[in-house]
Amino acid sequence: MFRRTALAATSVLAAAALLLTACTDSPDPAPTATGEPDPDASVVIRLVLEPGNLDIRQTAGAALDQILVDNIYQGLVSRTPDQDIVPALASAWTVSPDGLTYTFTLREGVTFHDGQELTPADVVWSLTTRRSTPEWRDSARLANVASIAAEGQDIVLTLTEPDSSLLWNLTGRAGIILKEGDTVDYQTAANGTGPFVLDNWREGDSITYVRNDAYWGDAPQVAEVVFDYIPDTQAALNAALAGEVDIVTGFDANLREQIEADGAFVLSLGQSTDKGTLAFNQTAGPLADKRVRQAIRQAIDHDAVIEALASGQTQFGPIPELDPGYEDLSDVAPFDPDAARALLADAGADDITLTLTIPNFYTTTIPQILVSNLNEVGITLQVDSVDFSTWLNDVYINRDYDLSFVLHTEARDFENWANPDYYFTYDNPEVQRLFAQSLAATDEDEAADLLADAARLVAEDHAADWLFNGASVVAVGTNITGMPSINVNERLNLAEIAKSDG
Amino acid sequence: MIRYTLTRLALLLLGLIVASVLIFLTLRVLPGDIAQLIAGVNSSPGQAAAIRERLGLDRPLPLQYLDWIGGVLRGDLGRSLLTGSSVTGQLAEKAQVTVPLGLMSLTIAVLFSVPLGVLSAMRRGRADGTAMSVGAQTLAAVPVVWAGMMLVVVFAVWLGWLPAQGFPRAGWQDPGAAFRALLLPALTIGIVEGAMLLRFVRSATLQAVGQDYVRTAAAKGLTRDRALIRHGLPVVGLSVITVLGLQVAGIIVGAVVIEQLFSLPGIGRMLVDDVSARDLPKVQGELLALTGFVLIVGFLVDLVHRVIDPRQREAT
Repeated sequence: MFRRTALAATSVLAAAALLLTACTDSPDPAPTATGEPDPDASVVIRLVLEPGNLDIRQTAGAALDQILVDNIYQGLVSRTPDQDIVPALASAWTVSPDGLTYTFTLREGVTFHDGQELTPADVVWSLTTRRSTPEWRDSARLANVASIAAEGQDIVLTLTEPDSSLLWNLTGRAGIILKEGDTVDYQTAANGTGPFVLDNWREGDSITYVRNDAYWGDAPQVAEVVFDYIPDTQAALNAALAGEVDIVTGFDANLREQIEADGAFVLSLGQSTDKGTLAFNQTAGPLADKRVRQAIRQAIDHDAVIEALASGQTQFGPIPELDPGYEDLSDVAPFDPDAARALLADAGADDITLTLTIPNFYTTTIPQILVSNLNEVGITLQVDSVDFSTWLNDVYINRDYDLSFVLHTEARDFENWANPDYYFTYDNPEVQRLFAQSLAATDEDEAADLLADAARLVAEDHAADWLFNGASVVAVGTNITGMPSINVNERLNLAEIAKSDG
Repeated sequence: MIRYTLTRLALLLLGLIVASVLIFLTLRVLPGDIAQLIAGVNSSPGQAAAIRERLGLDRPLPLQYLDWIGGVLRGDLGRSLLTGSSVTGQLAEKAQVTVPLGLMSLTIAVLFSVPLGVLSAMRRGRADGTAMSVGAQTLAAVPVVWAGMMLVVVFAVWLGWLPAQGFPRAGWQDPGAAFRALLLPALTIGIVEGAMLLRFVRSATLQAVGQDYVRTAAAKGLTRDRALIRHGLPVVGLSVITVLGLQVAGIIVGAVVIEQLFSLPGIGRMLVDDVSARDLPKVQGELLALTGFVLIVGFLVDLVHRVIDPRQREAT
């Protein structure tokens, strides 16, 4: 909570400073959008990771959710950047006191991009097909839903047992509403109900959306949005300085001065659910010993990691601050190299060599810090930088690793700690029981408390280390308004975006 | 000549067949597969297996190879497993960036390396000749990436003359913008490849200086420089054509790096993306097309050589 307050305080200060400069008639350009929004504007947004294809039904990857959900495809409910659940295609909903019946009121007058009207039958078909097609993403998240039926404009979901995560799940892939029996080529085209229409995908380069003039809500204030895929940070900076892009996401906060230098951009650091996860393979070898895992965690200078990234905050348990069940767990593994050395000696592991498997699109900053921190306490760390497909094969499928680093961006993904078959190799029946109880809880606060209890156990077992909780580092042109700043790696809702001439 | 051409053609075909097998097999050695990439990190093993089956990746390898090569013989290089788009179509689209980029790089390389190479050979032993030679050595050792970054900083960021990255969405419908987008990348490859070419031109010229026919021409009253230009340079030109043929492969490799650096939607960047996505049918189609292109250029260089070099004709 501290962080959000600090940010708010900063923005108040910034606003005060602006007022001051206005009063003193400073020649500096005021970094706010003062002009009228231009309805013909085209906004170019730099993104890092391009989707392999656009198949929202079954292709995994935050790169698809980021641009397609909310903008092109919608569910009955949606989530705000602050992670609140809000109406979308359903104008309202009720939940029965026993938590077993969810009733959604479907909006009228909604049309798909191909012009056909959305009917309750489309909703029933979408959710039913999702639930019964294991190949589709998040199909299992509807496992508790016994029946999906339409009663007039009402959609009624009946559950076999209460599921405190159901509404949240419906804001994601599991809840996407498609046209019944649509013949659109999902891999390269799209037919949704959202405020934008997919205009063009130049594979390996950019994706263009145009305004959906027939949108059921307020149509977007820009005519066009272009997602420009520029993997290289330096190239993205150059593009920004040369005026070729309006917004740079996934930026490096260390380059703040450079991108803000001529006053055309302002850097914003929003919270995110990005978890820099250092997984320990605890099935065998030295890492099976909890003391060794604790030693590694206490050997790592997490503050130095944050400083090197120039963004983000520390996180000492599996749940980030934006998600329910968060609590400050910094007391579990404070930075203490001496304690780490003692733990290693105690475990008879004072001279061990471990390998870190890390996908090659992450910066070398993280492995460098780890190598040096672990070397301090007598652990030799070898770094194996591999492409993501290799990581999937070696680490995710075959569990053939000692340490692994991956940024897990998904919100509310605690379930992986309750799944002994996941690549985290963490198996604690008590955690699994608490997680199941949390799902079955009908009260939100109760569900969050149970998650917090489970998260503390995971942290105390040193099931992994969380090197940092990333920030959404976004540089926004000063003539742009309505750009979300929180968790943009996961979802980028552009309904409010506007661009002025000035 | 006809027999020679036919022999070379047969060798070309054999080369392509061997290349197709090698490409197919080496790609299968890569760990990981596209089905797992589609299924992602919150999936059950069953999900990936179902996708694998749908994509036909569970069939025996010889069958997959024969399917592919059968398509190639019918003129179909295959389709992407991710998007279903045809490899031929994608190559044609991305070639609009990579082919002009390659031609511009080659032109730049030749334009600055040939005159400077000859000049530095003619002025060898003198200060300016040595300076040119040392300069070329240094430039040839410069990593392409670094050269590109420096050019971007100067011409795009400081001076603002040229775009820093990307290719206009209108493509060649806006020829001015498209040309400007490719100028810095082409300059980057051209300078580095040209510096290597310069060293080659210089040593070929030096060799020509020592040849009998140049000395004879000089003995008959031409100055040494004029004898070299009139009688030595045609021979130098021949060797340059050979090296240019070899440099086509170098330029393709350069394009892979430079297209990443400048975010250009060309064949090189597509290839890198497809390899990391393990879109193997697409990668093998692309590699076979590139290999074919390099082999055909080599074949043509051989033919040209034979047509314009009288010494080779007499030898057979």
